Amino acid sequence: MATLAPGVQTGPYHAVLDHIHPEPTSFIRKYIFSIDAKVIGIQYMITAGVFFTIAGLLAEVIRTQLLSPNGAIVSEATYNQIYSMHGSAMVWMVVIPLMTGAFGNFVMPMQIGARDVAFPWLNLVAFWIFPVAGVILFSSFLIGAPDAGWTEYPPISLQGPPGTNMWCIAIFLVGVSSTMTGINFLVTIFKMRAPGMTFTRMPLFVWAQFATAPLSFIATTALGAALAALFIERVFGVPFYDPAKGGSPILWQHMFWFYSHPAVYIMIIPGFGIISEVLPTFSRKPIFGYKMIAFSSVAIALLSFAVWAHHMFTSGMVPWLQLPFMIITMLIAIPTGIKIFSWMATLWGGAINWKTPALYATGFLITFTYGGLTGFFLAAVPADYHEHGTYFVVAHFHYVLYGGSIMSLFAGLYYWWPKMTGRMYNERLGQIQFWMTFIGFNCTFTPMHWLGLMGMPRRVATYDPQYTFWNQFASVSSYVMALGFLLLIYLLVDSLVRGKKAGPNPWGARTLEWMISSPAPYYNYKKIPAVLAAPYDFGNPLPYIGLEPAEGAVEATPTASSHPVPTH
Amino acid sequence: MAQRVVRPKTNLGPGFWYVTALIVVVSAIMVYFTETSPWPIGLIPAGDPAGSIDDLFRFLGSVAACIFNVVVIYTIYFAIVFRRPKDAPANAIGVQIHDAPVLEFWWTAIPTVLIIILAIYSVKIWHDLQNTQGDVLTVEAIGYQFGFQFRYPKLANPVSGDMHLPVDTPTTIHVTSRDVIHGFWLPEFRMKADMVPGLINTYRITPTHTGTFRIVCSEFCGIAHSQMRARLIVDSQQDFAKWFAAQGGSQAAGGGAAAGAAVALSSGSATTGQQLFGQKCSMCHSVGGFEQKIVGPGLGHIFNDPAHPKLVNNTAPTPQDVAAIIHNGYQGDIGTMPSAQVNGLSNTDIANLVAYLVSLSKK
Repeated sequence: MATLAPGVQTGPYHAVLDHIHPEPTSFIRKYIFSIDAKVIGIQYMITAGVFFTIAGLLAEVIRTQLLSPNGAIVSEATYNQIYSMHGSAMVWMVVIPLMTGAFGNFVMPMQIGARDVAFPWLNLVAFWIFPVAGVILFSSFLIGAPDAGWTEYPPISLQGPPGTNMWCIAIFLVGVSSTMTGINFLVTIFKMRAPGMTFTRMPLFVWAQFATAPLSFIATTALGAALAALFIERVFGVPFYDPAKGGSPILWQHMFWFYSHPAVYIMIIPGFGIISEVLPTFSRKPIFGYKMIAFSSVAIALLSFAVWAHHMFTSGMVPWLQLPFMIITMLIAIPTGIKIFSWMATLWGGAINWKTPALYATGFLITFTYGGLTGFFLAAVPADYHEHGTYFVVAHFHYVLYGGSIMSLFAGLYYWWPKMTGRMYNERLGQIQFWMTFIGFNCTFTPMHWLGLMGMPRRVATYDPQYTFWNQFASVSSYVMALGFLLLIYLLVDSLVRGKKAGPNPWGARTLEWMISSPAPYYNYKKIPAVLAAPYDFGNPLPYIGLEPAEGAVEATPTASSHPVPTH
Repeated sequence: MAQRVVRPKTNLGPGFWYVTALIVVVSAIMVYFTETSPWPIGLIPAGDPAGSIDDLFRFLGSVAACIFNVVVIYTIYFAIVFRRPKDAPANAIGVQIHDAPVLEFWWTAIPTVLIIILAIYSVKIWHDLQNTQGDVLTVEAIGYQFGFQFRYPKLANPVSGDMHLPVDTPTTIHVTSRDVIHGFWLPEFRMKADMVPGLINTYRITPTHTGTFRIVCSEFCGIAHSQMRARLIVDSQQDFAKWFAAQGGSQAAGGGAAAGAAVALSSGSATTGQQLFGQKCSMCHSVGGFEQKIVGPGLGHIFNDPAHPKLVNNTAPTPQDVAAIIHNGYQGDIGTMPSAQVNGLSNTDIANLVAYLVSLSKK
């Protein structure tokens, strides 16, 4: 066992915690009510995966309906419920839980050299609220699902079907869960890093979770209050929002977007973290501009609190107030641009190993840049007068939420799949799956920009005949995406059944989670390792001491004598 | 492939510069087509402020195209050139660089400058929209589940169905709602405001083309939201007057000096007229001498200006003739002065205005 290098502090804290609880043996404590963050992470992933499948099916109903200008399959009433549930489920039951609950729980404690999160029981409660909320949300279909969009603007949401009450409860519960997770992660990152892991030696995925956690519990309070008021108004008739009784419909919009714009960054900053892990590993290079990427995540998180009213440029506010919101929104492009250019520079001069996670990360670079640029069109107030409430908005937020968040989640899924299961997936199928998703996605959502600019409003079950061609084009392309998703399910099952054993570190990555066997042992690290440097220096020996070497970990790890690949 | 020493900062081979040239050429072509496109968003403009918003679209589109080309073409180039060679050793690594401060400075500074330029340009267009001329005609649009109603000055009852506007008339549209939130979108004018119950939102347009355009509800408003449409019919001034008369607009069919003469001028109040002048006239007319023009001439001395013994319509400056111009409207060199009925002026209003103008000339 190597001795600790000078400057690495291990206090009595770690000595005390070297005691390890025995692994639970009963099925229920091991897989159902587990307090192990890795198991909870996978539970989040499976639950959110089920919800993703349902919400994705709803999306295909939407696209099928829009094959015909007069609406192909469902009535308007049903259609309104379907797109409202699609949006609500994708935001609250899929992307946010996957970004924080799933990947945050599975990866983050291992990456900081911890055995679990700070509050494992809180983690268990936070997880179990989530499937309950999901079931409440989806069972609102039984009594009439909410039909006013995922934003549920009053007064129309006050008229909505009874299921709207269930929507309020479900989203409120998810907010509670998200708040718990945010606090849990923040404390974990502050207090439980391995000795020697200073803030500038943290993996960038941990930085991303660190920037996201405060958003989860600060912004969500506003949403909780707004939802409670909507529920009280719907059930007890206390007029918060109904102008006919003295309420203000604009109040809801402010409260809702005060949450929902930071929520946009809850849904993307951990994705930035995933990309920042995948790109260095597969281009065999240090991440370019480590500090700039880390700090820009924090800058984006801070700025995200001061831009909410850019969703409301046409809602009615003092005109001059539009300007600061426009300018601060535009400012977010600066830290985002720094990230994009840094990722490009990480590819430059690499020895890029084009495996599926790297393909997804690069696809993300392209689609997210596109989504960011259309964000500019929406931030510019006079242009937004035209675009607000149109398919241009739909196209924009699918480019950032699917092209950004879901693409980075796919990158993370392929990347950490061997760590979760101990098995490799079929690389050839993975690459086919990437191309189906990438091409299907772009062909589905690019035409929506044009549809919106040419005059097609969003949230319509029927449309003018001149928009037929591009709607049909988008619908057919969306089926390609859906087939890609079916292929994903197939290849994951295939990997579980027949996949090759992965070994601890199939990608030759350098962050701590790859230093232990796959799947990771119950307590991650028998001895907490000490950290000497940031993790991405592929030319140097591993910066960890005190690791109990996992079987096979050493051979996959490049040493200082590695050959640089000649470049052109 | 021979192994050789990597020189991280200088090994930008000729391929890099070819690709850079490609980016410049592709971007130049895209900017050219964006900037020269008459309809940058594929939708004809039917009046102000579509023109200036289209300009903003052209500018945004050009900048976005350049940035997109830089990111995408370089990324694809890197992806191909820096792929791991088939014969590379298992532990091959890339160039071990961590940062390049000069490069990072520029890729922070250049986007920052672009953002400042975009923000200034957007603020300028925004400022123009805030200060565009409206108020010649004021129409209220009221949304309800599921349709629109329009209230015109001097019409007792709101109009349902189509909205009519006279061409070349700066029009202020006040929008509100009777029930839930709707949106009042005129795609061909690039303008939209939410119709919020209990709140009045306002924007201004000036139709420059006659024809039929779309009115689209742009906020989800209930089960028939998809069908909540109406038409905006922009008429010539004469057709609008006819339509207005058919709707029961008072004295809409009247015309000529005779109608002006019918106005009882003796009862006019200069004080009321002064207020009215501030609301209806002062946007285009000063109360100084003839040459102190805003859009139309200054009206401070129309009854006693020896340099201009005749009015613009070549009649004598009598109160009756002035009243006739106010009543009928006037097509000037720069702008259009709308008729009294479009302007929402009653005969009493005209009398008050004339009394005010007479009082100005006496000073």
